[in-house]
Amino acid sequence: MTTAVLLLLLAFGAYLVAVLENWATSGRFQLATPAFSALALLGRESVLPRKPDRIFFEVAPTLLLISAVLAAAVIPLTPNLIITDLATGALFINAALVYVLVALIMAGWGPNGAYAMIGGWRFLGQLIAYAMLIVMPITAVVMRAESLLTTQIVVSQAGLWNIVYQPVGFVLFFIAAMALAFLPPFDLTTAKGELAGGVEAEYSGVRLAVFRLGRLVLIITLAAATVVFYLGGWQGPWLPPWAWSAIKILAVTAIMLLAGRYMPRIREANLLSWCWMFGIPLALLNIFLVGVLVLVFS
Amino acid sequence: MTAQMFFIGFFGLASVWFGIVVFRTFSMVRSALALLFSQTALGAMFLSMQAEFLGVLQIMMMATEMSIMAIFMVMFMMDPGGLGEMDMTHQKRLSLGAGIVAFVAAVAVAVFVDWGPIADVAPDAAQQTVDLGLELLGRSMLIFETAGITILTAMIAATAVAIPPVKRKPSKGATHHEH
Amino acid sequence: MSIELLLALITGAALFGVGIYGALSQTNLVMIMMGVELILAGAMVNLLAFWRYLHPDNPAGQMFVLIIMTVMAIEMAVGFGVAIARFRAKGSVEMEEATELKG
Repeated sequence: MTTAVLLLLLAFGAYLVAVLENWATSGRFQLATPAFSALALLGRESVLPRKPDRIFFEVAPTLLLISAVLAAAVIPLTPNLIITDLATGALFINAALVYVLVALIMAGWGPNGAYAMIGGWRFLGQLIAYAMLIVMPITAVVMRAESLLTTQIVVSQAGLWNIVYQPVGFVLFFIAAMALAFLPPFDLTTAKGELAGGVEAEYSGVRLAVFRLGRLVLIITLAAATVVFYLGGWQGPWLPPWAWSAIKILAVTAIMLLAGRYMPRIREANLLSWCWMFGIPLALLNIFLVGVLVLVFS
Repeated sequence: MTAQMFFIGFFGLASVWFGIVVFRTFSMVRSALALLFSQTALGAMFLSMQAEFLGVLQIMMMATEMSIMAIFMVMFMMDPGGLGEMDMTHQKRLSLGAGIVAFVAAVAVAVFVDWGPIADVAPDAAQQTVDLGLELLGRSMLIFETAGITILTAMIAATAVAIPPVKRKPSKGATHHEH
Repeated sequence: MSIELLLALITGAALFGVGIYGALSQTNLVMIMMGVELILAGAMVNLLAFWRYLHPDNPAGQMFVLIIMTVMAIEMAVGFGVAIARFRAKGSVEMEEATELKG
């Protein structure tokens, strides 16, 4: 029952993300556009490129969708509205989201096209840059909550949200989450105008629809994870818990979509060197500071 | 037959099957990703053996490792797409024999040794994580730290080996070549 | 003797056997490393099965698995370092051609 409700909410959230993305890109707020685009995609022919690696080509969009949905499974919207409250929830989100990389490499290699392949391998380089910045801030969050349970992480922020408690971690996690969802300015793997769509280049029709859906679910999952880890999850005055979750998740999604609009795309080499030269030392510093704070104030 | 037995058998079989696929396909990316799915099936097997933390950790770590392996395969193989169906093996009979002997010997040990009493219940997942953390930073701290230092050393050594050698000109004017 | 333990041990043995076959039969350094990864994976299953079915109350068993994961990572790092260096020097990582150390 809970699972069905959450899956419906996830689909609804993905639709809202599509509306928001359209708004952020074109400046027009139209509620119906994503539905028409989806219908158009489903109606179009799904072209198979010449000499593809058929297994990878077919599996990749589905794997992207599955990994995003699995990551959403451990995210609580209210104290009870969660698919499975795993004892290793905070780690499980990472484990599920790494398969986004596998899906993109498959999607890049499968269609036997140059642009797609470059896009796929670029995402591997991007992973080397952002992976540590996902894991290390989560470590600091877990240290404060003294638990890997996502519900426990939300409860631990009752007095003070983590965005105030560990602002450095929040900034790093937010940037890394944008890189993980390949949103601009980190959209190296799809790079419109440079790689002609990158990993999406050879996909069309139904397969492209599944791919896009997977990415929308990925964006909303990451926004929800940010809310759970740093913005106090369902907590807030006056309104019921589910309303707070919804408001916060949509706000974070909107910021994620808008943040990169006016920035130039970051070059692969720069992304790597900035992440490793500034990001990882900052993340380590964050872990150290949180450790001191936890020891002093507990 | 319990559910646990079924899942262990199923994921074990999947893991071995993907392990065999690694050496039977000509496409190098397929080979690396088959190894990934072999390890993922192993992670799922860990989950069905109620080792939740290790299972999730295995599933997470191997995805990155094997994807990196895939790009190295593409970089270093002559025929990464496998369209030429090149034979990349040697001493086939010897290795097949060695593999089979190793398998049979290990199974024989597993079957004929008396393993003693079998434990029925494992601690629950949250308790396991706590225990493992205390173990790592308590009794086994020295081993754990040694592993950490070793991995750091390996990273530095591997980077040092891998970066291209800097060629310096003997003349004094060539300052821009110095790093 | 429990069936679950036996199944896990047989899986470990099979992975070990496949790994030995791969490590001995392949001519490319990266493929040999894949074989070694499979051997380590076989060891990992065995250790975890021993922890679960013989000593579930002792977390040291799980620690062994963590150490093997570390060993896998180290093996990858060093192996790829060597592979890059060799590829840069000789233009291939085929082990048939690597006979410089032969006495």
